[in-house]
Amino acid sequence: MRVYFSYAFKETFSNLWRNRMMTVAAVLTVAVSLSLVGGSLLLKQSAAQATASWEQSTPVRVWMQPTATPGEISAVRSQLAQLPIVKSCVFTTKQQDFKEARLVISVSDLQFLTVADMPTSFRCTPTVPLDALTVETTFQHQPGVYRVTAPDQQIRAMAHTIRILQVVFLALAAVLLLSASVLILNTIRMAIFTRRREVSVMKLVGATNWFIRVPYITEGFVQGLLGSGVAMLAVWAFHTWYPLHNEFALDTAKVWGTNVVVLVAGVGIGSVGSAIAIRRFLDV
Amino acid sequence: MIRFENVSKTYKNGTPALTNISLDIEKGEFVFLVGASGSGKTTFLRLLLREELADHGRILEAGRDIGNLPRWRVPYLRRNIGCVFQDYRLLPNKTVFENVAFALEVIGRPRSTVENQVPQILELVGLGAKSKNLPGELSGGEQQRVAVARAFVNRPLILLADEPTGNLDPVNSESIMALLERINRTGTTVVMATHDKALVDRMRRRVVELDRGEMIRDQVRGVYGVEEGLAI
Repeated sequence: MRVYFSYAFKETFSNLWRNRMMTVAAVLTVAVSLSLVGGSLLLKQSAAQATASWEQSTPVRVWMQPTATPGEISAVRSQLAQLPIVKSCVFTTKQQDFKEARLVISVSDLQFLTVADMPTSFRCTPTVPLDALTVETTFQHQPGVYRVTAPDQQIRAMAHTIRILQVVFLALAAVLLLSASVLILNTIRMAIFTRRREVSVMKLVGATNWFIRVPYITEGFVQGLLGSGVAMLAVWAFHTWYPLHNEFALDTAKVWGTNVVVLVAGVGIGSVGSAIAIRRFLDV
Repeated sequence: MIRFENVSKTYKNGTPALTNISLDIEKGEFVFLVGASGSGKTTFLRLLLREELADHGRILEAGRDIGNLPRWRVPYLRRNIGCVFQDYRLLPNKTVFENVAFALEVIGRPRSTVENQVPQILELVGLGAKSKNLPGELSGGEQQRVAVARAFVNRPLILLADEPTGNLDPVNSESIMALLERINRTGTTVVMATHDKALVDRMRRRVVELDRGEMIRDQVRGVYGVEEGLAI
């Protein structure tokens, strides 16, 4: 067994060294593509975290018409109280809304606004953030309701942009991962070609198929491992030197989780690339 | 040791390589396989190595039908068969010692066995002093002796030789033949395909002649060509 491992180890590294330029190209391609995969995963987690945080902290606002009658207001109030998807609701008077408006509207605009112009509103927290949309559709056509604003409108717009970015990242990463697999496959193919004489002698003297194959599989595995190692460093460096802020900030556990995915993907494409090469080009 | 029972082999292009061959080779026998190029000698050896499978019939080695052997068992079969070829098939970047040791290393023999057996076999073939040379630094005869050493280092039950003297001058051919005879005397069955008339005639061993895939002669203590009254 010791002979077996020392042979596989020796052969793997001599193959890698012999085709070092191809090895470097394969490792770098794996590294770049997996960095993109890692970046994309960080972005996805970060976006999901920020979206959840915004959805939880921003209430659904049911704005009443300034001219809404007390009857219409109390009808909306009792409906909101009965709705199981609404956790809690706070009624905001015209004065309170005017006070809030003063914080966000410029002084010049404020001179045309009076308390009487202000609508009253209900500030509601849905049981589940996703139910904000249901609250919106339920109340927007109710008598006396001016409009319903839910946080998901803005969040959805941002999430959409993030999703597009993510798809672009992942598509690019997929193309690069494919080219990395092909490069690994080609490196193994070259190694098999270079050593075809040795392989034929090995077959003649009774080396087992796995004894012949293992150094080539290990070669692909090592290339994938090295590539994912570089990509993990890149993900870590990105997290350390360009940390995301506020709701986007990710904790260390999530970065490690991403790096585990990067590692598994790297080792996976390395092994798959070499397995295909062996199947196609190594006749044992 | 080796039994062919109505063995036939046709290549994919429809060329018949061997047709209905039946013969027995006993343990410790020395058999010459003669015939023109394309007569089926190499196919005969490839079938014994299970590099090819017979289309019809059975081939038994040490009582075991090698056609029924699962693929993963084939390497273990080959560990009992040594092979020598006309083109030596040595690894040019390995020394004489490493070439012979390679045959033991790739079947997982421990380092101590390698270090013990390789010098012995190199002494046997008369290359003890050249163990550190590369094949390119040796003559054709010496390279073939390395190939014989590699084939025999694992003490196989059968030794197959495909035109081992084809590239050698008469002196080197004689030395290779002497070596094969010596190996044969240890009890190893030797099957040798050859065109070397002088050698076959001088050795007077069993001769199996093939012609376009058919066995046309199986002669005990035979000669290269047909000898009247002796054909069986």
